[in-house]
Amino acid sequence: MIPIIIIAVWEFFAIQANNPALLPRVGDVVNRLIHPFTDLLNTGSFVRHICVSASRVVLGFILAAVIGIPLGLLVGRYLLFHRLFSPVIELLRPLCPIAWIPFAMAIFKTYTIADMFGAHYTTSIFGHIQLGMLYVIFYGGFFPIFLNTVHGVKSVKHLYIESALLLGADQKKLFKKVIFPSSLPSILTGLRVGLGISWMVIIAAEMLPGSDAGIGYLIIFSYELAEMDILIASMILIGAVGALLSYGVKVIADRTSVWQAKER
Amino acid sequence: MSFLRINNIGKTFLGERKEKVIALSDLSFDCQDGEFLCIVGPTGCGKTTLLRLIAGLEQPSEGDIILADTVIQDLNREATLVFQQYSLFPWRNVIDNVCFSLEIKKIPKKTRYLKARKFIDLVGLTGFEKALPYELSGGMQQRVAIARALAHNPKLLLLDEPFGALDERTRHRLQEKLLAVWQKEQKTVVFVTHNIDEAIFLASRILIMRDRPGRIDNEIKVDLPRPRDRRSQGFLKLHIKIREILEQILITNTNNQRGVL
Repeated sequence: MIPIIIIAVWEFFAIQANNPALLPRVGDVVNRLIHPFTDLLNTGSFVRHICVSASRVVLGFILAAVIGIPLGLLVGRYLLFHRLFSPVIELLRPLCPIAWIPFAMAIFKTYTIADMFGAHYTTSIFGHIQLGMLYVIFYGGFFPIFLNTVHGVKSVKHLYIESALLLGADQKKLFKKVIFPSSLPSILTGLRVGLGISWMVIIAAEMLPGSDAGIGYLIIFSYELAEMDILIASMILIGAVGALLSYGVKVIADRTSVWQAKER
Repeated sequence: MSFLRINNIGKTFLGERKEKVIALSDLSFDCQDGEFLCIVGPTGCGKTTLLRLIAGLEQPSEGDIILADTVIQDLNREATLVFQQYSLFPWRNVIDNVCFSLEIKKIPKKTRYLKARKFIDLVGLTGFEKALPYELSGGMQQRVAIARALAHNPKLLLLDEPFGALDERTRHRLQEKLLAVWQKEQKTVVFVTHNIDEAIFLASRILIMRDRPGRIDNEIKVDLPRPRDRRSQGFLKLHIKIREILEQILITNTNNQRGVL
């Protein structure tokens, strides 16, 4: 019901404005969306831009998970690691990932992954994965993943740990068979939130100078050329892809943690 | 030489307001290899604490606990404790819960499932192998916990009111099954219960604890022939005797409290 109202209001104002550079008609935007493979403003199609953005996010997000989960397990379980890392983390956590973008650009310039492996790869997707962007995505995804993992480990019931120890588990087995599975629902929540934040951060990072592709870039470029229909279509796509990513993680999460929802 | 020796142990906790709470004081007893020891006593007398100390989950403040000639200083690897609370791993189904210790011992899946099924059958839960703990009633969960402990096959089995949540019929059936396992596998069992009837039915010896601070008040050897008849003269006599001792503990407690006030 509410989407219909929004679309109706939008269409009403678009007709009133009668200026596609200010507010395009619904039909114009839909027309853009149903041609996702058409080249836009000589920069490539929606699909290409989405793929570029998504590949950046996926890589940065995997990096955040690969570092955030093990570190979270250690910090949650061992006081030594907690003491070592928590002051740094408490300091960095309030620092919004977007605030890092200028710094990351200054440090990494426009170096891409392709540059690391040689110019041979420049034309491939790796030519579009800038290290600076990777860094901010990593940073945005890291904290939710890390903090939820720590929380998950800390909420493992003591009773389960004692039971496992009395059934012969050593520290290694305890981690593998009790602490990890018991924290898994919380870790998956972290992954879901982290992926959402990564997806937001990439759009912001792509809007800044030095970017040459990605859905965020398309937004800022179509803004400069007053192509509002492309701009709005891009925004809708960002929302749709973000929702899809979140839903994907949720499906996995629900499947692996039926027990948690039902636990008293 | 006794299998388990509790040597003048005491346990003091720090309470919520940093005050000292003496949970156990000057508590001693011996337990022979293969004995079935039941501990009864008023609520809050430190029965659970005692079991936790024997399991090595906590260390006594004074005295020591000796199991088969070794002082327990860390986790007691020869013992398994079945907790009063529901302690099943909620992410594992029944059979994988029962298999937990076998998995740790790296026993191949086929063998351990075969073994686990035997214990699941023993506690009367055949057909529930794939169920997750939340799908079971409290009593059923507790039976799985017992099966899990039995599958681990410890020398010393510690049970903290394991049948408390069960109805009388199931409780009686499980008491018989537990006795069968005890006799067959020559285990030593320390069993905490509220239920006098249960203690007499199971125990070779009953220790009666008193509270504030927790210590052994009385010891009763149960010589009734097995299987025991709950309606026999000897059984009922013993029941009355234990009841009287427990009531006496309550009376002296009340008097002591009056004295303090």
